[in-house]
Amino acid sequence: MTGTPAVGESFSAEPYLLDEEAAQAYEFGIREPARRRRRNIHSDREAAAKAGFRAPIAAGEHTIAVAMQLIVDRFGERFFRGGCFDVSLIKPVFFGDTITPHARVVAERDGNLEMELWVENQDGARVLSGTARVPARQ
Amino acid sequence: MASRQGETNQRIEMRAENLRVGMRLGPIFYIVEPEQISAFASALRTSNGLYRGKSPIAPPTMRLLDYALLVAEHFKGGKGGVHAKHRCELHEPMRAGQAVRVDGVITAAERRRGKFYFTIEYETRDATDERLLVRQAITAVLLDPQGRMA
Repeated sequence: MTGTPAVGESFSAEPYLLDEEAAQAYEFGIREPARRRRRNIHSDREAAAKAGFRAPIAAGEHTIAVAMQLIVDRFGERFFRGGCFDVSLIKPVFFGDTITPHARVVAERDGNLEMELWVENQDGARVLSGTARVPARQ
Repeated sequence: MASRQGETNQRIEMRAENLRVGMRLGPIFYIVEPEQISAFASALRTSNGLYRGKSPIAPPTMRLLDYALLVAEHFKGGKGGVHAKHRCELHEPMRAGQAVRVDGVITAAERRRGKFYFTIEYETRDATDERLLVRQAITAVLLDPQGRMA
Protein backbone atom coordinates (compact mmCIF):
# COMPACT_ATOMS: atom_id res chain seq x y z
CA MET A 1 0.00 0.00 0.00
CA THR A 2 1.28 3.48 -0.84
CA GLY A 3 0.11 7.05 -0.44
CA THR A 4 -0.39 9.24 2.56
CA PRO A 5 -2.79 7.78 5.09
CA ALA A 6 -5.45 9.97 6.66
CA VAL A 7 -5.61 10.80 10.33
CA GLY A 8 -7.20 7.83 12.06
CA GLU A 9 -6.07 5.34 9.42
CA SER A 10 -4.24 2.21 10.54
CA PHE A 11 -1.91 0.02 8.53
CA SER A 12 0.10 -3.11 9.21
CA ALA A 13 2.80 -5.27 7.69
CA GLU A 14 2.72 -8.97 6.99
CA PRO A 15 3.60 -11.10 10.04
CA TYR A 16 7.35 -11.71 10.39
CA LEU A 17 8.59 -15.01 11.77
CA LEU A 18 11.59 -14.18 13.95
CA ASP A 19 13.21 -17.57 14.17
CA GLU A 20 16.84 -18.57 14.52
CA GLU A 21 17.35 -18.34 10.76
CA ALA A 22 16.03 -14.78 10.74
CA ALA A 23 18.23 -13.91 13.70
CA GLN A 24 21.29 -15.28 11.92
CA ALA A 25 20.42 -13.31 8.79
CA TYR A 26 20.04 -10.20 10.91
CA GLU A 27 23.38 -10.84 12.59
CA PHE A 28 24.98 -11.17 9.18
CA GLY A 29 23.26 -7.95 8.13
CA ILE A 30 24.61 -5.94 11.02
CA ARG A 31 28.15 -7.39 10.51
CA GLU A 32 29.47 -5.55 13.51
CA PRO A 33 30.07 -5.54 16.38
CA ALA A 34 31.83 -8.87 16.55
CA ARG A 35 30.79 -9.28 20.17
CA ARG A 36 27.43 -10.47 18.86
CA ARG A 37 29.10 -13.73 17.98
CA ARG A 38 29.96 -14.40 21.60
CA ARG A 39 27.63 -16.39 23.79
CA ASN A 40 25.09 -13.95 25.12
CA ILE A 41 21.39 -13.52 25.87
CA HIS A 42 20.71 -13.62 22.14
CA SER A 43 22.35 -16.97 21.57
CA ASP A 44 22.90 -18.84 24.81
CA ARG A 45 20.20 -20.39 27.01
CA GLU A 46 22.22 -20.07 30.23
CA ALA A 47 23.11 -16.43 29.61
CA ALA A 48 19.46 -15.68 28.88
CA ALA A 49 18.33 -17.43 32.08
CA LYS A 50 20.78 -15.42 34.18
CA ALA A 51 19.31 -12.22 32.76
CA GLY A 52 15.82 -13.40 33.69
CA PHE A 53 14.57 -14.73 30.36
CA ARG A 54 13.12 -18.21 29.81
CA ALA A 55 15.06 -18.65 26.55
CA PRO A 56 17.42 -16.71 24.24
CA ILE A 57 15.75 -13.57 23.00
CA ALA A 58 15.91 -11.78 19.69
CA ALA A 59 17.94 -8.59 19.61
CA GLY A 60 15.71 -5.62 20.39
CA GLU A 61 17.22 -3.87 17.40
CA HIS A 62 15.85 -6.60 15.16
CA THR A 63 12.29 -5.94 16.36
CA ILE A 64 12.81 -2.19 15.86
CA ALA A 65 14.08 -2.85 12.33
CA VAL A 66 10.98 -4.86 11.46
CA ALA A 67 8.77 -2.09 12.85
CA MET A 68 10.52 0.66 10.90
CA GLN A 69 10.32 -1.27 7.65
CA LEU A 70 6.55 -0.83 7.90
CA ILE A 71 7.06 2.94 7.88
CA VAL A 72 9.62 2.81 5.05
CA ASP A 73 7.32 0.66 2.94
CA ARG A 74 4.48 3.12 3.43
CA PHE A 75 6.30 6.43 3.13
CA GLY A 76 9.48 5.67 1.21
CA GLU A 77 12.43 8.01 1.25
CA ARG A 78 10.49 10.79 2.94
CA PHE A 79 10.91 8.93 6.25
CA PHE A 80 14.68 9.31 5.84
CA ARG A 81 14.44 13.09 5.55
CA GLY A 82 12.91 14.47 8.70
CA GLY A 83 11.33 11.32 10.10
CA CYS A 84 11.86 10.07 13.61
CA PHE A 85 10.77 7.37 16.02
CA ASP A 86 10.77 6.82 19.76
CA VAL A 87 10.06 3.28 20.92
CA SER A 88 10.15 1.13 24.04
CA LEU A 89 10.85 -2.59 24.00
CA ILE A 90 8.30 -3.77 26.50
CA LYS A 91 8.44 -7.57 26.20
CA PRO A 92 11.13 -9.93 24.94
CA VAL A 93 10.75 -11.60 21.56
CA PHE A 94 11.80 -15.24 21.66
CA PHE A 95 13.08 -17.20 18.67
CA GLY A 96 10.07 -18.67 16.93
CA ASP A 97 7.76 -15.77 17.73
CA THR A 98 5.86 -14.19 14.88
CA ILE A 99 5.71 -10.44 15.17
CA THR A 100 3.48 -8.00 13.30
CA PRO A 101 4.07 -4.24 13.20
CA HIS A 102 1.13 -1.83 13.20
CA ALA A 103 0.80 1.93 12.91
CA ARG A 104 -2.04 4.39 13.23
CA VAL A 105 -1.95 8.04 12.21
CA VAL A 106 -3.05 10.05 15.22
CA ALA A 107 -2.48 13.63 14.04
CA GLU A 108 -1.14 15.92 11.36
CA ARG A 109 0.76 18.70 13.06
CA ASP A 110 3.38 21.22 11.93
CA GLY A 111 3.73 19.54 8.56
CA ASN A 112 4.23 16.07 9.99
CA LEU A 113 2.13 12.95 10.35
CA GLU A 114 2.30 11.64 13.90
CA MET A 115 1.76 7.96 14.40
CA GLU A 116 1.26 5.50 17.17
CA LEU A 117 3.39 2.46 16.47
CA TRP A 118 3.33 -0.99 18.01
CA VAL A 119 4.44 -4.56 17.38
CA GLU A 120 2.45 -7.56 18.55
CA ASN A 121 3.54 -11.16 18.93
CA GLN A 122 1.48 -14.15 17.84
CA ASP A 123 -0.53 -13.97 21.07
CA GLY A 124 -1.53 -10.38 20.48
CA ALA A 125 0.77 -9.09 23.22
CA ARG A 126 2.61 -5.88 22.52
CA VAL A 127 6.39 -6.33 22.47
CA LEU A 128 7.19 -2.81 21.23
CA SER A 129 5.30 0.41 21.66
CA GLY A 130 6.07 3.96 20.64
CA THR A 131 5.61 6.75 18.16
CA ALA A 132 6.89 7.73 14.74
CA ARG A 133 6.76 10.94 12.75
CA VAL A 134 7.02 11.46 9.01
CA PRO A 135 6.88 14.66 6.95
CA ALA A 136 3.31 14.89 5.66
CA ARG A 137 4.53 15.81 2.19
CA GLN A 138 7.64 15.13 0.21
CA MET B 1 34.69 -2.58 8.72
CA ALA B 2 34.55 0.29 11.20
CA SER B 3 37.78 1.85 12.32
CA ARG B 4 38.64 3.76 15.40
CA GLN B 5 40.47 7.02 15.41
CA GLY B 6 43.09 5.72 17.79
CA GLU B 7 43.44 2.19 19.06
CA THR B 8 43.65 2.31 22.81
CA ASN B 9 44.82 -0.08 25.47
CA GLN B 10 43.12 2.00 28.11
CA ARG B 11 39.67 0.51 27.88
CA ILE B 12 37.93 0.30 31.23
CA GLU B 13 35.65 -2.36 32.67
CA MET B 14 32.03 -2.17 31.54
CA ARG B 15 30.39 -1.77 34.93
CA ALA B 16 27.96 0.67 36.50
CA GLU B 17 30.50 2.74 38.41
CA ASN B 18 32.48 3.35 35.21
CA LEU B 19 29.54 4.69 33.21
CA ARG B 20 29.53 8.43 33.82
CA VAL B 21 27.32 11.14 32.41
CA GLY B 22 29.27 13.32 29.99
CA MET B 23 31.70 10.58 28.96
CA ARG B 24 32.41 10.97 25.24
CA LEU B 25 32.60 7.90 22.99
CA GLY B 26 34.18 7.74 19.56
CA PRO B 27 34.65 8.86 16.96
CA ILE B 28 34.50 5.79 14.76
CA PHE B 29 34.58 5.87 10.98
CA TYR B 30 33.32 3.50 8.32
CA ILE B 31 32.14 3.24 4.76
CA VAL B 32 28.49 2.29 4.21
CA GLU B 33 28.81 -0.98 2.31
CA PRO B 34 26.31 -1.97 -0.41
CA GLU B 35 26.75 -5.61 0.60
CA GLN B 36 25.62 -4.80 4.12
CA ILE B 37 22.57 -2.94 2.82
CA SER B 38 21.67 -5.97 0.75
CA ALA B 39 22.22 -8.41 3.63
CA PHE B 40 20.24 -6.28 6.05
CA ALA B 41 17.35 -5.95 3.61
CA SER B 42 17.40 -9.71 3.11
CA ALA B 43 17.16 -10.26 6.86
CA LEU B 44 14.07 -8.06 6.91
CA ARG B 45 12.67 -10.00 3.91
CA THR B 46 11.97 -6.78 2.09
CA SER B 47 12.27 -6.11 -1.61
CA ASN B 48 11.95 -2.35 -1.19
CA GLY B 49 13.61 -0.64 -4.15
CA LEU B 50 15.31 1.95 -1.94
CA TYR B 51 17.82 -0.72 -0.91
CA ARG B 52 18.66 -1.78 -4.47
CA GLY B 53 19.91 -0.31 -7.69
CA LYS B 54 22.87 1.91 -8.47
CA SER B 55 22.70 4.05 -5.34
CA PRO B 56 20.99 2.11 -2.59
CA ILE B 57 20.34 3.74 0.75
CA ALA B 58 20.81 2.06 4.10
CA PRO B 59 17.69 0.93 5.96
CA PRO B 60 16.98 3.42 8.75
CA THR B 61 17.96 1.01 11.49
CA MET B 62 20.93 -0.68 9.80
CA ARG B 63 23.52 1.24 11.79
CA LEU B 64 21.50 1.42 14.98
CA LEU B 65 24.11 -0.84 16.57
CA ASP B 66 26.85 1.73 16.15
CA TYR B 67 26.38 2.47 19.84
CA ALA B 68 27.88 -0.95 20.54
CA LEU B 69 30.97 -0.06 18.53
CA LEU B 70 31.32 3.12 20.54
CA VAL B 71 31.00 1.11 23.76
CA ALA B 72 33.52 -1.48 22.57
CA GLU B 73 36.07 1.23 21.94
CA HIS B 74 35.91 2.55 25.49
CA PHE B 75 34.97 -0.46 27.58
CA LYS B 76 35.96 -4.07 27.94
CA GLY B 77 34.42 -7.09 29.60
CA GLY B 78 30.94 -6.98 30.98
CA LYS B 79 27.88 -8.86 29.82
CA GLY B 80 26.33 -6.05 27.81
CA GLY B 81 22.87 -4.71 28.32
CA VAL B 82 19.21 -5.21 27.55
CA HIS B 83 17.80 -2.68 25.10
CA ALA B 84 14.89 -0.81 26.68
CA LYS B 85 14.23 2.33 24.63
CA HIS B 86 15.39 3.83 21.38
CA ARG B 87 14.92 7.25 19.87
CA CYS B 88 16.04 8.20 16.38
CA GLU B 89 15.91 11.30 14.17
CA LEU B 90 16.55 10.75 10.48
CA HIS B 91 17.98 13.79 8.72
CA GLU B 92 19.37 12.37 5.49
CA PRO B 93 19.73 8.84 4.16
CA MET B 94 23.06 7.05 4.39
CA ARG B 95 24.08 5.91 0.94
CA ALA B 96 26.23 3.03 -0.22
CA GLY B 97 29.85 4.09 -0.47
CA GLN B 98 29.44 7.04 1.86
CA ALA B 99 32.13 7.61 4.49
CA VAL B 100 30.60 8.42 7.85
CA ARG B 101 31.71 9.35 11.33
CA VAL B 102 29.93 8.42 14.58
CA ASP B 103 30.31 10.22 17.91
CA GLY B 104 28.51 9.50 21.15
CA VAL B 105 28.10 10.70 24.70
CA ILE B 106 26.63 9.10 27.82
CA THR B 107 23.73 11.34 28.82
CA ALA B 108 22.17 9.35 31.67
CA ALA B 109 23.42 6.73 34.11
CA GLU B 110 21.26 5.95 37.09
CA ARG B 111 19.83 3.17 39.22
CA ARG B 112 16.05 2.90 39.20
CA ARG B 113 13.92 0.23 40.81
CA GLY B 114 16.97 -1.94 41.40
CA LYS B 115 18.27 -1.78 37.83
CA PHE B 116 21.05 0.30 36.35
CA TYR B 117 19.97 2.25 33.26
CA PHE B 118 22.24 4.16 30.95
CA THR B 119 21.59 6.27 27.88
CA ILE B 120 23.98 6.90 25.01
CA GLU B 121 23.20 9.62 22.49
CA TYR B 122 25.09 9.31 19.22
CA GLU B 123 25.24 11.05 15.89
CA THR B 124 26.25 9.85 12.47
CA ARG B 125 27.61 12.49 10.09
CA ASP B 126 29.08 12.47 6.63
CA ALA B 127 32.81 12.12 7.29
CA THR B 128 33.69 14.58 4.53
CA ASP B 129 31.45 17.57 5.12
CA GLU B 130 29.95 16.69 8.55
CA ARG B 131 26.33 16.84 7.39
CA LEU B 132 24.13 15.30 10.05
CA LEU B 133 22.58 12.06 8.84
CA VAL B 134 21.14 10.36 11.93
CA ARG B 135 20.87 11.26 15.60
CA GLN B 136 19.95 8.46 18.00
CA ALA B 137 19.69 7.62 21.68
CA ILE B 138 19.61 4.20 23.26
CA THR B 139 18.61 3.44 26.83
CA ALA B 140 19.63 0.02 28.12
CA VAL B 141 19.68 -1.92 31.37
CA LEU B 142 23.22 -2.97 32.23
CA LEU B 143 23.89 -6.61 32.93
CA ASP B 144 26.18 -7.14 35.90
CA PRO B 145 29.35 -9.30 35.75
CA GLN B 146 27.21 -12.37 36.54
CA GLY B 147 24.93 -11.61 33.61
CA ARG B 148 21.99 -10.44 35.75
CA MET B 149 20.25 -7.12 35.34
CA ALA B 150 22.54 -4.96 37.46
